Amino acid sequence: MNAGMKFDPDAELVARTGRGDRAAAQALMARHLPKLLALTRRMLHDRTEAEDAVQEVFLRLWTHAARWQPGQAKFETWLYRVAMNQCFDRLRKKPTTELEAAAQIADPGPRPDAGLESAALAVQVEAALAQLPERQRAAILLCHYQECGNIEAAEMLGISVEALESLLARGRRTLRTTLAYLREN
Amino acid sequence: MVNENADEPAAESDAAFVSRMMATLPAETVPNTLEARILADFDAALERRRNSLRFSAVKLAERLRDMVWPGAPVWTPASALALSLLIGLAAGAFVPSASVETDNPNQVLTVALDKTPSLNLSGDL
Repeated sequence: MNAGMKFDPDAELVARTGRGDRAAAQALMARHLPKLLALTRRMLHDRTEAEDAVQEVFLRLWTHAARWQPGQAKFETWLYRVAMNQCFDRLRKKPTTELEAAAQIADPGPRPDAGLESAALAVQVEAALAQLPERQRAAILLCHYQECGNIEAAEMLGISVEALESLLARGRRTLRTTLAYLREN
Repeated sequence: MVNENADEPAAESDAAFVSRMMATLPAETVPNTLEARILADFDAALERRRNSLRFSAVKLAERLRDMVWPGAPVWTPASALALSLLIGLAAGAFVPSASVETDNPNQVLTVALDKTPSLNLSGDL
């Protein structure tokens, strides 16, 4: 085995899926579906659209699994790249009015308890995320929400690490400015 | 050296602030219907692949048939091939080989059970 090649925890499951093993397909789905759905939901700000996007990602996986070449790229990187491309395609087709509506910061209203308070905070964070340009939002979500490394996130977005760092810096600054009032409170 | 502002929010980096904000986002629950849709896609893709393999095999058979017997239904060249194989096998099993026959009457084959077999080829060749 190539010493430089990283261990891919999904390689075996992908190979079995390619041979038509339903249990392996189910295991792959269980491993990646929750995180992929969370990512696409935050990218698209639409649950139905996010579910359709994730379904499309897995359909790509089912049709490509038989031709998957282990060692060329990490499976997860490929999967997230497909997911990000799905999101960008759908965002391009989406009317801008929908995105603007998603970016409206909702009034959290009165805060009777901590549970509601944290829910309201999440709503505001989501709205602030929606205001970010799509590439910055993707970089922020991959690095701060999915906790991917910079190199991996850059590969997922198909950009250089320097470009990713630039997107991250701008995105963080914008989010901090948008959510500055939370720190004051 | 001690950072005097280490515990103050102002000292928090943009990255740490964003990580803290992202941590407030709730986890997503995956609806069962979505899992069912995805698995149904897997079954459909598998079925399509199997059909396409079957389709490829049929296409290959048709191409071979057209090379051997253009325009004939598949069973005709297949039957001809099977028949010729049968005739070949029957001939191999029942017709004695010409190599063991000889028309030289002077050749004597001596075989003794306690000796190695010897062939006397003293006759004119």
